[in-house]
This record gives sequence, C-alpha cells and structure tokens, in this order.
Amino acid sequence: MEFPNHHRQIVEDLMAGKFMLPNERTYQAVKDNEQSYTYFFKASFNYELRLTQDYAYLVSEESAEMLSRDICIFIALLSYELDRDGKNFLERIQFSEFEMEEIENYFTNSSYIDLILSNKQLKDADARKNFINTLNRRNIIEKTGDNRFVFTSAHKFFVDFATDIVKYENAEKEE
Amino acid sequence: MKAEPKTILRFLLEHYDVIAELFETQSKEGIIAFEVLNQIVAKHESDVRPQLIEYKILSPVNDNYEIRTVYYNLIEFVLSEFKPMLPETIEKYHGSIAELYRKIRENINGDKVTLSQRLNDLAIEIRSFYEMVERNTQSLLQETRELKANVKKIDYREKIVRASRWIDEYIIPLNKILDINHSASVANKLYEISEFSNKYRLNFDDENARTQFEKLYFQLIQVNDNLLRQSKILTNELLPLIERIRTESIILTGWITYLKNPYKRKAPKLLKRKEISVYSKDTFYNASEIFEQFKNETDVYFEEEENESEKWIFDKEHYTKKLKENLPVENFFSWCNKTLKEDYKKVEIEKFFALTTLAFDEDIEREYGAKPQFDKIKINDLTLTVPKVTINYQQLIIDPPHGIS
Repeated sequence: MEFPNHHRQIVEDLMAGKFMLPNERTYQAVKDNEQSYTYFFKASFNYELRLTQDYAYLVSEESAEMLSRDICIFIALLSYELDRDGKNFLERIQFSEFEMEEIENYFTNSSYIDLILSNKQLKDADARKNFINTLNRRNIIEKTGDNRFVFTSAHKFFVDFATDIVKYENAEKEE
Repeated sequence: MKAEPKTILRFLLEHYDVIAELFETQSKEGIIAFEVLNQIVAKHESDVRPQLIEYKILSPVNDNYEIRTVYYNLIEFVLSEFKPMLPETIEKYHGSIAELYRKIRENINGDKVTLSQRLNDLAIEIRSFYEMVERNTQSLLQETRELKANVKKIDYREKIVRASRWIDEYIIPLNKILDINHSASVANKLYEISEFSNKYRLNFDDENARTQFEKLYFQLIQVNDNLLRQSKILTNELLPLIERIRTESIILTGWITYLKNPYKRKAPKLLKRKEISVYSKDTFYNASEIFEQFKNETDVYFEEEENESEKWIFDKEHYTKKLKENLPVENFFSWCNKTLKEDYKKVEIEKFFALTTLAFDEDIEREYGAKPQFDKIKINDLTLTVPKVTINYQQLIIDPPHGIS
C-alpha cells in the first residue's frame, strides 16, 4: 500500500489541530490528494478535512470551543484597537510583524478591559504570552523572535467567521 | 451688467470670506436661506448684499438665494471641492458628442462655416466631458480617503453602506463610460472620432477645417490618454481602496457584534487535540514523562516487619482432650476462661471465642437448666454475659470423625 509523500507528517500535524499552510510541503501533498485525505480522515476518525487556498485543517464534532472563542476575542480586540489607532488593521494583520509590547499596550489600555480581565487566557501579560505560544502551536501565528510574531494565512479562518456574523445578521433582518 | 470685470473680480477677492461661507452653505443645504444670508453678511464689516445681487453672484429663488452656476463652478474649481457626480450626469455627454459627430460626418462636404462651428463645439464638449470625469475621479478619491481615515467618525455599518453605494452607483458606471472596449461608452465614441479626425486632418480640401481636425485629433490623443489614466485610478486605486473599506468595515462590524457577548455566541469549530496520540510528535515526551515518574535515583530498601507475637492457632484436639479430662464440666464458659488463664498470661477474646467453639460442635449435647441462667465473665476489659451450659461425660464424643490436626 502506497501513501502520499509526507503522509505521517500530514497526519501528525492535522491531528494536532494545526492549520497546514500553503508554504508547507505537506499542504501541497494534501492538495494533490484532497479526495483521498478527505476520505481517509472521515473513515478513520470521522473528521472533516477543509482545504482552502489559505490553509488545510480538520474539523470534528468535538470542538475546542473555548480556545476557538478566545482566539476570536483576541483577534477581534486586536483588530478593533488597531483600527481605533488609525491603522489599517487588515493590512497589519496580513502583512506586519507584531511585538508583544505593542499587544500589551493595546490590551492594557483597551476599553474592553472588563472582558479581557474575565478571560483566563488573556487576562494578564503572562497569560497572553502563553496564549501566543498556543497560537504558535496551532500555526495561527509564527513566532519570529522571543517577543515577536506574524499572523499566518490561517487568520483568515477567523476573519471569515467575523464576516459571516454580519452576513448572518443581515439575512436574519431580511427574513 | 454695468460693473467692470475688474471691479467684480476685485469684489470677489476683497469679500472672499463671505463668498466662501455662502458657497459652503449652498454646498450643504442646496440653497441659501434669507436668514442665513443675513447672518453671514452680519458677521462681516460691510453689508455686501446689494453688490452680490448687482454683480449677479446671487440670484433669488422664491424668498431664498443661490449662487449662480458660473460663480459656483469657479469657486468649486478654486477650492477643488467637487462633489462626486452621478455618472448619469456625465453620460449626457455621450448624446451631445455623438450628435455633433454625426452631423459633422453627414455634412462633411456641406457649409464650411457650420462645419467649423460644429468642430469647435465638439472640442468644447469633449473638454467639458473630460474635466467632469477628472473632477469626479478626484472627488471620489478624496471622499474615499476621508472615509478611510474616518474623519467624520461615522459608524462601521454606515461605512459599508457608503462604500457599497460608491462602488455600485459611481465607480462601476463611471468605469463603463471610460471603457474603450465597450461599444456604447463615451471613450469608445471618442476613439472613433479620433480616427475620423485623423483621416480628415490629412485629407480635406478646406485648410481651415483641416487645421481644426488636426487640433481635434491632438486634443483627442491627449484626452484619451488622460481618460485611460483616470480609468486606471478607478480600477487600480479607487476600487480596491473602497473594496477594502467595505471589507474592513464588514469584518470590524462582525467583531464588534461578537465582542458584545462572546460567551453566548458559538465560535468556529476547532479540532480538539488529543492528549496522547499514537502519531503525535509528543509521544516520546509523553512516554518519557510517564517513565520519569517511576525513575528513582536512590535505592529504596524495604525491611520486613517482624511480628511482635506469633500468630496463635487454636489446637482443637488438645483442648477437646483437656475438656474430656475435666468432665463433667458444670459451667462450660467458666471452664473455658479458667483453662485459658492457666495456659496464657493474658487471655485474648480471640482465644476465648475459639475455645467456646467446642460447645457448638455438632457431636456434643449441651444441657441447660430448666430455667435459663447467666454468668458474667470478664476477659481483659470486656465483660461477657454467657448462658450456663453443662457438658456431661457420657455425651461427649471423644474422637470426632473429623479430627483436627
């Protein structure tokens, strides 16, 4: 029985809840064998493979709901604060490097401070540092130094979610 | 108008502040109300209302006023404050330019004076058309940049509405007008006129008309270049900028909605990591962590505990024999207590109960008095109330079938 190249790496990464990115050789292997992998993960684990031009990842019925929620809060707050600061938040998230100092400034001075303090993963500098490491493990960001990181194309997964909220609300209003 | 041109221009210069304020009012309100005019004039030293009417800068509309178009356009041009025009307004040039071109083409050999006049008018219309396109593009860019910087602090949802309206109502239709490949576009018509004038600037019997065709041809080369540049600004800069404003506003609106109550909304599904997976990269570390828990750097010795006293085993045979020797035993339980005290310094309850089991042997018969009698026996701290049981010699089977070794 022959498996595609990097099969083991693909299974390891996806099963670890990582977003697989287009610049990774594994992504191309998944893309070339999309149908096979879709079937493989469904038959083996009942997981759904989602492949877009920006990432590949697995979805299961059992979801890491809390982590997902906290990532949404993190990106939402960062986008809001960047915009409030007169920055092009989408461009910055897509193309720029962030320093933890900048993140700390935005979060400690945010008008959403109550929400931040009530969130275990975002409440203080130490918690946020750990949270950044979690995002790194999931390939949502890439650490470029001890205190620096860039967002990967996986951030679009969450940005699409924000767009869907508006679409969903508009559709509800029209009904 | 009796006033000298220089007088009017000097008036405009000297009272520019009043005129600029009137212009701003009309731009916002569409008209200058009588009371507003008085308020504006009153703020300045001299009453200029008579001159504003005399020089035909203002014209009355019912009880209100408006700045005449020629002055309005002048100030608009000077201030570079154009409002974007709906492309329908620009589209009207398609009709006037096409009509003049049709008449020129059909009457090319007709009256030369009329031809010259039509060529002149066509050049004016083309210039007007281009200036309007340019102004519209610039004003759209300016408005878009303002929207992007959100100078007026408008709501994100309003930004989405505005950006969408500019794309749908202004930019896309304007782009159609400038699309040279679209047969019904003004740009396409201008290209056609350019070809036509190129032909007649080289080959026409009337020299004056030839010169006019030549001017028209070079004007069109310039205009077509400029239109192409405007079209590029629209498609390469303005459209992406507005699209981005729209996209960003949608995303931010979504996030702000989400942040209102993130704990009540469903988050997108993320795969839940399994702690230990056969394929996991962490398997080695997980395994080593488990093994490390069992790894002890120093040797540990276990010492066997010494029993303080040897376990006591009831020797049934010995005591049955002893019971036999003592028969008849009038009070069995007292005999048990007495016998044990003879054998051991300390009588444990465990030994006492073991010895009393002789009385429950199926092979013996116990005799109780006609009336139940009880004794009290003290074993260490425990006082037992026991019945009086007599065991006679004849009834005891000395050698039980199931001997105890």
